[in-house]
Amino acid sequence: MDTTQLLKGVLDLAVLAVVADEDGYGYDVLRRLRAGGLTEVGDASVYGTLRRLYAAGALTSYVVPSDEGPHRKYYGITPAGRDQLERQVKDWRTFSDTVTDLLQGAAS
Amino acid sequence: MSESTTVHPEVAAFVAEVRARLLDLGEEQREDLLDGLEADLADQRADGADLGDPAAYAAELRAAAGLPEQPRRRTPPAWRAPRAEDVERLLDTARRQWFAELQRHPAGPRAWEVVAALRPAWWVARAWALVTWVDVWTGPWERVSVVPTLGVPLLGPALLAVAIAVSTLVGLGRLWPGSGPDRPLLPRVAVLVANVAALLALWSVATAGSAYLSSSPTPWAEQWSTTTADPPERGLHVDGRPVRNVFAYDADGRPLEGVQLFAADGRPLSVDPADAVHGPRRADRTVGCGWLNGTTRLFNVFPLGQRAQPDHLCTPDDPIDVPITAAQPPFAQVPPVTSPVTSPDPVPAEAVPVSPEPGSVPGPGAGRR
Repeated sequence: MDTTQLLKGVLDLAVLAVVADEDGYGYDVLRRLRAGGLTEVGDASVYGTLRRLYAAGALTSYVVPSDEGPHRKYYGITPAGRDQLERQVKDWRTFSDTVTDLLQGAAS
Repeated sequence: MSESTTVHPEVAAFVAEVRARLLDLGEEQREDLLDGLEADLADQRADGADLGDPAAYAAELRAAAGLPEQPRRRTPPAWRAPRAEDVERLLDTARRQWFAELQRHPAGPRAWEVVAALRPAWWVARAWALVTWVDVWTGPWERVSVVPTLGVPLLGPALLAVAIAVSTLVGLGRLWPGSGPDRPLLPRVAVLVANVAALLALWSVATAGSAYLSSSPTPWAEQWSTTTADPPERGLHVDGRPVRNVFAYDADGRPLEGVQLFAADGRPLSVDPADAVHGPRRADRTVGCGWLNGTTRLFNVFPLGQRAQPDHLCTPDDPIDVPITAAQPPFAQVPPVTSPVTSPDPVPAEAVPVSPEPGSVPGPGAGRR
């Protein structure tokens, strides 16, 4: 099944969750998402989502200079971001339960 | 993490490509998006992943970041020659707007009906304008005339006829069928250009001074009319001046009377009676009186008689009692001359019998010298 459509709906949620767990830079977040099982998520999508969430105030960012390589832009979650995460988690749970029930009804 | 302090060229190129596709965004926004991209891409590459297509990357980035899609032109538009579709679209739009405007005015459609009915006249006018324009620009300068001349005789009228025929065919739709949007682009533009050129030519002719316009149908007629003098004077004239009276003398130098003069073609060399008048003042005024053929006064028989009268001319039936006297000749005698004829002439043409009857009327000068 093509999961890109599904992903688009929950990418905000997934990214927030990952960042809430631990601050990270773009590729780091991407790696964690992929490691968590969302193998098909595009890196540009992750970066774009990070940017959007930052613009919306759900994330904060800071730069960590590095002597060995290019600087990295780290993202961290804000209190507003946490609220949004909580809300979206609840919405997701409700939604997925509803869909699951629907499907069970159809399958049976 | 990356061990090198320099950016790999592949990564740098990728970032540059992505940046190029984000030029429509503000600099701050763009740099925000690109910030850290280098490092992340380096990491990706270090992991062995292919960097992918920068264009797709940029598009995905925009979508995820909630930014609008890239506008069509990726780079600031450089001027390029208008394509056929552009021109057609322009023409169609102009046409549509024109008719919309027309509908807006109350008298618009009706006025347009009249104009549309005059289209055949325009076909002729534009053909004439174009041929005349060719005429003006080729060959020596000459005035604009109704029928264009092109140096070679008959070429002007022939070309005009051909041009009118072509113009009509185009207007009717036989040549280059269709009209307006139905025509293919090239003929449409060609007709449009021709119409505009014809309009300009007509306008320039209309506003040109009368010095440029010939008043006659063709320049040949004009040339003739300008060299024609005033209407020919009536009566006998010498060097442009009217003759009042003629005095004849024979070969021996003695004055002659009753000499009837005719030109070689038989025309009588008559003095205009009005020219036979002499005298600055009414009191001194005399009129010349012609010899009589019955009751008709002839003014080609000389010398003319004279009569003093304050006005009018010497007419046969006027009841004036003043006698007609002989005119005073300028010389009593002139030197004798000899004839140039060396051999006898052939018999001349028949003479017109105009001699006055002897004794019926007292001839001028008879015994009154």
